[in-house]
Amino acid sequence: MGADLVQQIVIPTVQILIVILLLPLVIAYLQLVERKVLGFMQVRLAPRRVGWHGILQPIADAVKLLIKEDTVPEKADRFLFTLAPVVTVIPALAALAVIPIAGASFTLLGYQVKPWITDVNVAVLYLLAISSLGIYGIILGGWASNSKYSLLGALRSSAQMISYEVPLGFAIIGVLMLSGSASLVEIVNAQKTARIWYVLPQIVGFFCYFISAVAETNRVPFDLPEAEAELVAGFHTEYSGMKFAFFFLAEYTNMIVVSSIVTVLFFGGWLRPFPNVAALAWLENGWLFFVPLIAGASLGWLVDQKARTGLRFMFAGGLLGAAVGFGIASADVMGLASASVPYLSGAFWFFLKISFFLFMYIWFRGTYPRYRYDQLMALGWKWLLPLSILNVIGTGLAVLLFG
Amino acid sequence: MATRPSGSNVREFLKTILLLELWVGLWVTLKNQFRPHITVEYPKETVALSPRFRGVPRLRFDPQSGEELCIACHLCETVCPDDCIHIVSEKKPEGKGKRLVSFEINYERCCFCGLCVDPCPTKPLTAIYMSHDYEMADFKREGFVAPLKTLLGGISPTEYKE
Repeated sequence: MGADLVQQIVIPTVQILIVILLLPLVIAYLQLVERKVLGFMQVRLAPRRVGWHGILQPIADAVKLLIKEDTVPEKADRFLFTLAPVVTVIPALAALAVIPIAGASFTLLGYQVKPWITDVNVAVLYLLAISSLGIYGIILGGWASNSKYSLLGALRSSAQMISYEVPLGFAIIGVLMLSGSASLVEIVNAQKTARIWYVLPQIVGFFCYFISAVAETNRVPFDLPEAEAELVAGFHTEYSGMKFAFFFLAEYTNMIVVSSIVTVLFFGGWLRPFPNVAALAWLENGWLFFVPLIAGASLGWLVDQKARTGLRFMFAGGLLGAAVGFGIASADVMGLASASVPYLSGAFWFFLKISFFLFMYIWFRGTYPRYRYDQLMALGWKWLLPLSILNVIGTGLAVLLFG
Repeated sequence: MATRPSGSNVREFLKTILLLELWVGLWVTLKNQFRPHITVEYPKETVALSPRFRGVPRLRFDPQSGEELCIACHLCETVCPDDCIHIVSEKKPEGKGKRLVSFEINYERCCFCGLCVDPCPTKPLTAIYMSHDYEMADFKREGFVAPLKTLLGGISPTEYKE
């Protein structure tokens, strides 16, 4: 009974705590990466005054947000104004509960620790439902601020999120039909059995999903709710301090959630690339080699901003990292490669894919101008919706005929 | 529109449907990430000034004798379009000519045109010249009226410390 209690309640609670405590840190650094990448894309320096090459900038930002005066507009609805950030953040965090980061569990002190907090058999529905709840916070915040900019931002946000919810849902259906399950773990396992990532049969679905998801998270080029040129800061114009930080946290958590969903549904979650090519089986062990390579390359990318000439420093760092990784992998001193393959390898590939999609978000922000409001609506209703419905029909026919 | 051959319509359609221009945009930003940056972190590093750079006008000593070069001819004061130069001179006690009592340039008014340098009669070096100083912020207005001492010795901006 006691052991059961630990298995059922204590372990998920600890996992939840780890996620909630770690997430703000991850997001703070994600924001540093965003500022760095944007800066480099605009051929300028990104923050580099706080700490070595700006490495402590997120900490400074967090401290600033914490000690900043928390103002509430005089005419605002105080209760709703305070409630709104909480309402935005909680669904965003709750969505992380069903995301599986690896395929296999590991045993700790005799208890089985699963690489997901919970595996619901309706996880996809749960995600769709809970990600729609986030809009309420934005609408509440915009309305409770009693400011025209906030209200306009909130109106835009509600219209946008409701329109894009539809193609978002339809885009997923193709994957559900192929996998025959709505549990994220089962979907990845189905991709393993099918020996193919679902992007290939579901390329249209992937495009519809990702575009709609960028719109859902209110990011560039769909960041109309906070269009700074027109609406000052949109729905969070009147927010400051920790309340603003909560909106911020929610936005970035949503980005992570969306990237995870894309990874799980279309890119095989924790599976290695080309799961159907046996010759690439060494990639299962690849994390030992790739982690130092990526660390080295990104360090090289970060470091030499003084005389950044092409990819030279990235290459140097990557090579160095690769050498170190190769050394570790071949020596396998701690027995890491053999002992922990399914768990760590899965987590590595999962986080690598997530990072790629998070980079895509930043990349879009550095590239695309904002949509006009009518263009946004036209794209959602006239292009994405018919396209995703056609995708559903096409997938259905294909499953019926060949499946 | 009517004159456009049908082949290009197909191409346009394919371009739109494959989001070609969006990919091009992404490629441009990706490429630019690896270009050397162009930001100069100003207080830490400065740009190289060209020899003809016109900073604040200053007076100079004769490099050999170490005496001031100015002969108090008032030409620069006359030519100055902003009236920012103010010279007081007196007859030399012995010999010919005049000497400076005070020489002030009001940097609040100066427009850095360099016209004062052109008529300066001292040869081969002009007494007044456009220096390469440009860090001249101050907290008080009085600081912008440079007396003779500052003009000869140069302004000394506080060094930037991290």
